[in-house]
Amino acid sequence: MHNAESAKIKDVILEGVYEDNLTMSAPHVKPVRSVKQPGYHSATGVLTVLLTTVLLILFQFIVDPIHQQSTNPVAFSEMASILPWAEIVHDQMAGPSTVQQASYVVDSTPSPVTPFNAQRLLDYNLLLNHDQVRLSSVFGLDVQTIVIDPGHGGRDPGAIGSQGTREKDIVLDIALRLRDQLTQSGQYMVLLTRDTDTFMSLADRVRFSNLNKADLFISLHINALPQNQFNVTETFYFGPPSDLYTLRLAEQENRGSELLTGDFKNMIKKIGDVLKEQESATLAATIQHSLFSNMEKYDRVIADNGTKIAPFVVLLGVDAPSVLVEISCISKSEEETNLNNPAYREKITSSLEEGISRYLTQRHTQVVKGDDNGKKISTNNS
Amino acid sequence: MIMVKKSAQTTADEKLLVGIDLGTSRSAISADNGKKKWVKSYVGWPRDFISRKVVGKAMLFGKEAVEHRLSLDMYRPLKNGVIKEGTVRDEEAVKELIRHLISLVQPSKSDSKIRAVVGVPAESFKVNKVALKKAVAEFSEALFVVSEPFAVAYGVGALDNALVIDIGAGTVDFCIMHGTVPSEEDQRTVLTAGDYIDQQLFAFLKERYPEADFNLNMIRRFKEEHSFVGTVEKNVEVEIPVAGKSTAHSITKEMKRACESILPAMVESTLELIAKFDPEYQDAIRGNIILAGGGSQIRGLAEYLEEIIGEYGPAKVRVVEDPLFGGADGALELAKEMPEEYWTEL
Repeated sequence: MHNAESAKIKDVILEGVYEDNLTMSAPHVKPVRSVKQPGYHSATGVLTVLLTTVLLILFQFIVDPIHQQSTNPVAFSEMASILPWAEIVHDQMAGPSTVQQASYVVDSTPSPVTPFNAQRLLDYNLLLNHDQVRLSSVFGLDVQTIVIDPGHGGRDPGAIGSQGTREKDIVLDIALRLRDQLTQSGQYMVLLTRDTDTFMSLADRVRFSNLNKADLFISLHINALPQNQFNVTETFYFGPPSDLYTLRLAEQENRGSELLTGDFKNMIKKIGDVLKEQESATLAATIQHSLFSNMEKYDRVIADNGTKIAPFVVLLGVDAPSVLVEISCISKSEEETNLNNPAYREKITSSLEEGISRYLTQRHTQVVKGDDNGKKISTNNS
Repeated sequence: MIMVKKSAQTTADEKLLVGIDLGTSRSAISADNGKKKWVKSYVGWPRDFISRKVVGKAMLFGKEAVEHRLSLDMYRPLKNGVIKEGTVRDEEAVKELIRHLISLVQPSKSDSKIRAVVGVPAESFKVNKVALKKAVAEFSEALFVVSEPFAVAYGVGALDNALVIDIGAGTVDFCIMHGTVPSEEDQRTVLTAGDYIDQQLFAFLKERYPEADFNLNMIRRFKEEHSFVGTVEKNVEVEIPVAGKSTAHSITKEMKRACESILPAMVESTLELIAKFDPEYQDAIRGNIILAGGGSQIRGLAEYLEEIIGEYGPAKVRVVEDPLFGGADGALELAKEMPEEYWTEL
């Protein structure tokens, strides 16, 4: 190899090493302070949230008098009909005329506090892209319907362990247990995409969740790794893959989605849904934290892969905040034996329930940005 | 005029560049002050107060730890190629091991700032890189973590169209180099490595010589001295005590069988990795296979692989000159050539 060529390759390689390590240096989780927290000094942020909230409540009086009652908690599924910027987002996709209509309403509303550029204020980007604002908190959005999705089923066994244990059976059993545990509080309606050993395409699971106006969607899976010595737990929410392994896993789980390209185009528009992303990230982090900290009691060498972003079709299509949990690895023989034990499955269920409950009780606090590790969750509840 | 002799000691403003190879069995360090050291990747803490008095130290490393193992809680933190996450002592052991390695090359009373490139087993790079980074962060001003076979490749200048097979104790790591930082797809890890040979040899000898009295450390020594694949000119004979009396035992067949037990997975992974690569460059890669790590010292291994892989097209397999320091030297080379702005920006 010529020296010049070798030097060029080395430059590329050194830059690659630098970039690799730069991503490693990023903090694991960025627990973002609650808008109510005293340490929050960004005056612009506070003003933005405060003024926007006041203005938006006023809009609801103008645009739709029915929503005068909207100070009550509202389900995520009803969000689209309530949040004005959600309409704006939607309308912008539909065409410019409706945007003007929305702007007209905005312009006619006097600013209630100080002379302020209402046009700028109502630029939804200001709110949607502000990473210190948790939309569910601003609007007190509530959760009523939780859909649990046991992966695979019927002719699709999912991963199979060396002892013949099938992923579809384990996740169904855990899903049934989780339904029982979550319904005990009497606060939530819990639905399963399948409660028997039946095949269900990913598209059908998405339709089921959306038809039932799910407020949370939790898909349960068991992983399998080529290295049968490793056990890993990880939780995903939708987004571009964080690494190649994740991409491969997504391809594997997306097989047989039975989605048409047309459907996909419509679905991809939903990526911009900031609320869904915020909530999914937080839900993923709390579930993962609970699951790992409990499971390491039973498997000291289980690895915590944290939360990851991955393009799972099932997560993209569902309207509600959604996560996909890869509970553990059936490829590890000891773990497979454990999974066959009902008491162990009950413990897993309790860990999942603990994570979900923690998410539900601290929903009005912080935004957890998607990252590769969900171990450290701030518990600064407001 | 008085000539002032420049002190050999590094000053507070100076940087000491180090390359570290954090291995499952041995860990090595190379520094740009010319020092090179290695230790067995063992860390031991005295079990109790009495043990502490007996060993005379709060912590022991490498060979010294192995020698006093009966008095110590022993840790081999990267066993199987990964840090057992959540095991505080294993994480601490990694940290102490790195601290110890740095102390071996850093001049005493020196405040020189350490800039490190640390090569770790490929699987550990995937699973524990953040934990590893945290472990080293305490002792260094800035550091880069890279996968071990990649560091070896960089050290021997195999930057393009090459396959590095790093045969360690816990893992055999494969890494294809194609002019860029290898992605996960360019790498493979197989868990049948040096330790597996030890276990196999132990079992075979136990079966053949049930009366012989030996332990895994002795087995490891036999392997290091006599390992081979294929044929060997002279029979392998070792001294093993029987009822307290040192007795010569022939272990040729068992040694061959144990060493060859890692070959199927190694050959399969090599062929699979090459087959997945761009067909235009497969011949070039096959012609540039480099064996590294302790396992590369198995006699006849390069020739054996060359013959088997050669069935798929012309193949050339060579062994790195210094398997013990290949990784550390490669990591040091990376450290030396890393632009200043990368260090500071990191």
